[in-house]
Amino acid sequence: MDIKVDRVVDAKGLACPMPIVRTKKAINELDAGQVLELQATDKGSVADIQAWAKSTGHQFLGTQQEDKVYRHYVRKSEPDEIKEEITFPHSVRNDELERLLDGEQEIHILDVREPAEYAFGRLKGSKNIPLGDLEQRADELNPEDEIYIVCRTGNRSNLAANLLTEKGFKNLKNVVPGMSEWTGSVERDEVKPLN
Amino acid sequence: MATKVAIIAANGGMFDAYKVFNIATAAAASDAEVGIFFTFEGLNLIHKQAHHQLPMPAGAEHFEEGFKKANVPSIPELVSMAQELGVKIIACQMTMDVMNLNEEDFIDGIEVGGAATFIDYAKDANISLSF
Repeated sequence: MDIKVDRVVDAKGLACPMPIVRTKKAINELDAGQVLELQATDKGSVADIQAWAKSTGHQFLGTQQEDKVYRHYVRKSEPDEIKEEITFPHSVRNDELERLLDGEQEIHILDVREPAEYAFGRLKGSKNIPLGDLEQRADELNPEDEIYIVCRTGNRSNLAANLLTEKGFKNLKNVVPGMSEWTGSVERDEVKPLN
Repeated sequence: MATKVAIIAANGGMFDAYKVFNIATAAAASDAEVGIFFTFEGLNLIHKQAHHQLPMPAGAEHFEEGFKKANVPSIPELVSMAQELGVKIIACQMTMDVMNLNEEDFIDGIEVGGAATFIDYAKDANISLSF
């Protein structure tokens, strides 16, 4: 599977600590919220990238393996993770949405996270349009629908709800806090089996 | 608070060099502040000529091929990477005097100091290592 990312770091064939060193250099050049893919053949990189993300505070999204190549996905975090104020007036809690998902009624869910975040865990039936693309792709959505907008913590979905309201959408709900605390079932891309 | 790592490098072989510089670059890449104090044979690891041809331990020469196969970076590469990542390199003045070495004998961008310099650096380190 191919996941759209902002930067690919090729550390294939390189031994420890090179994959981490290359990642560090590349992430310095990214903006907060952008996603990096590290390609490595070093088996140690599977544990190391997670430990690195933990000590630097960046968000580890997941790892895929294809043949002997690992693809690790990391999203650069905000400098100090200051929560923006949630201004959109209509919201639903995670558990309310979870109950609705269990019901019969068809509901529209818009996930405004990055494709790599979406690939490693999303709500069944949700549609992915990253916040940065929403301005251009809003016409893929029906302004008359009731749309539940979700992201990781409720910040990006808040911005998305405000943006779509300006475009004439009337029936939007911001899902709070979002996928970071989602306890219900999630769907993910199929991982190719090991050879 | 950011992690601070203080390392003493007191041995001058190829394996010693990898232990020191792998840990140092990994720590620096993980946003830690890293300082290494090079003393006695450890000075080989930053000596302009010596660090290009560090000896393998006796009986371990056959690992040379393994290093190549695993595509492990060379010591000079690791040293410059460490410096790029902001690792502080301190050479021990006393050992330099004993061995009759000057600052010009070492790679660029090092500091020279005594034991007290290292202690002052290491006093609030979270991780202290000696190789």
